[in-house]
Amino acid sequence: MIEMLTYDFMQRSLLAAVLVGAVCSVIGVFVVLRGLAFIGAGTAHAAFAGVALAYLLGVPPLPLAIVFGLATVWITGVMEEQGRMKLDVSIGILYTATMALAILFIGLMKGYNAEVYGYLFGSVLSVTPEELRVIGLLSVLVVGVIFIFSKELYFIAFDQDMAEASGVPARRIFYLLLTLIALTVVVSLKTVGAILVFAMVLVPASTAYQLTHSLKQMTVYAVLIGVGCAVWGVMVSYWWDLPSGPAIVLLATTVFFLSVFFSPKRVRRADAAH
Amino acid sequence: MATPIIRFTHATFGFPGVTALEDISLEIADGEFVGVIGPNGSGKTTLCRAVLGLLPPRSGHLQIFDCACQELRCHHRARIGYLPQKGVLDRNFPITVLEAVMMGRYGALGLFTRPDKQDREIALHALDHVGMQDHRNSALGHLSGGQQQRVLIARALAQQPQVLLLDEPTTGIDITTQHAVLDLIRHLHRDLKLTVLLITHDINMIRSYVDRLVLLKTRLYAAGPPAEVLRQDVLQQVYGKELVITEKDLIIVEDYHHHH
Repeated sequence: MIEMLTYDFMQRSLLAAVLVGAVCSVIGVFVVLRGLAFIGAGTAHAAFAGVALAYLLGVPPLPLAIVFGLATVWITGVMEEQGRMKLDVSIGILYTATMALAILFIGLMKGYNAEVYGYLFGSVLSVTPEELRVIGLLSVLVVGVIFIFSKELYFIAFDQDMAEASGVPARRIFYLLLTLIALTVVVSLKTVGAILVFAMVLVPASTAYQLTHSLKQMTVYAVLIGVGCAVWGVMVSYWWDLPSGPAIVLLATTVFFLSVFFSPKRVRRADAAH
Repeated sequence: MATPIIRFTHATFGFPGVTALEDISLEIADGEFVGVIGPNGSGKTTLCRAVLGLLPPRSGHLQIFDCACQELRCHHRARIGYLPQKGVLDRNFPITVLEAVMMGRYGALGLFTRPDKQDREIALHALDHVGMQDHRNSALGHLSGGQQQRVLIARALAQQPQVLLLDEPTTGIDITTQHAVLDLIRHLHRDLKLTVLLITHDINMIRSYVDRLVLLKTRLYAAGPPAEVLRQDVLQQVYGKELVITEKDLIIVEDYHHHH
């Protein structure tokens, strides 16, 4: 246990797991409460298309991932507001279109590029010091902004119209939330991978949702669960030589199902049925 | 009559192709209890949005407090405590009663200011006003419909508003609770000197509570004391044959479209 902490790469990956676990579960609280799960899943694939394009052009992947991610959340935000089409349909189209772009970019590359696939499946054990710095910086940024605007974010998650009516600039806060979702996805892309990143956002927050009746408690529980699963997942993947992304996500999902089964809300519903 | 705090002057509201309210001229004085009535689709909710400054008039003028509606800033909005039409509250939404009422402070505080002890006192005081202080740590979703309505009224009160704007506050709760909620609103009107604007389709319920009734159906058909507005000839313009006035002067309006 102690001996594995002597490896540099292990220290880095545990730190990355803590950061990603924390930032994903904090943003996840608002994603779950505001009902934006679909948007996030689409964003992960769009960000991956940005990464693929960057490798095709031979430029650093992070800026393009951010651009693609932001474009997707903002477009879906506008579509949600205008409500011209059902949101699940429009996001479904956007989601597959960005995935098609990613496959197209990969196809245009000459030969097999393992690094691109690293972003698809994620590998926390291969995080470089440089990447860790970026993850740290963006995590602090996202969590800091959430802290500053937490009362407005909670309010729009509870009822956006009511927030607007009582003098909160709700629309701008909604777009701020979308922006933070995109940044979170990009931060976590290398660690858990495009396919699984959204589990890290959804699962700890939905688990916490089962366990409490208070917004503040839900946030605390979500972070504890998110960080706990991420750290535990990294260790499991080290001990048993398993891929880290699935180890973290499957661990979190197990905790989620346990929470659904033992949820006080579930017990109360069962009481009410009698 | 006291100074008007809301003044519509030939104001028309709507979206391209749809006129929701046309040529409305109306003054609401400080401290009045006004009931807004009219059939469904008569523009009652549009009136709400207009007063909140969320919908500027397409023509004409709307003055709220001391500024024009289109200039209504967020801090003005906080002076209007708003109870939206009761939606379906997710029973499992993790929010306590006190957390929900504290949200009433958020708009008034503005960005970058965190609620402190004083805001908590204001929220607890608001809960006291609606008789829900003992429930402050309960889950909002576990309360009855009437209790939830009280909590949401407390949320509006926590804004320390001048105006209380209530959109169908009695819809979706049982009949005894409806009267309890209206009695509460009357108390708040008297004790806190609040101007109350109550929107409803249920004329029978509110007629004995209000100072004035405003009758809407896209246009403004009447505005005055209940006895002047609740007359066969006035109401029939709006409700047509769905209206029955019985000998005891009870007015029954069959609203077939109500149960959506």
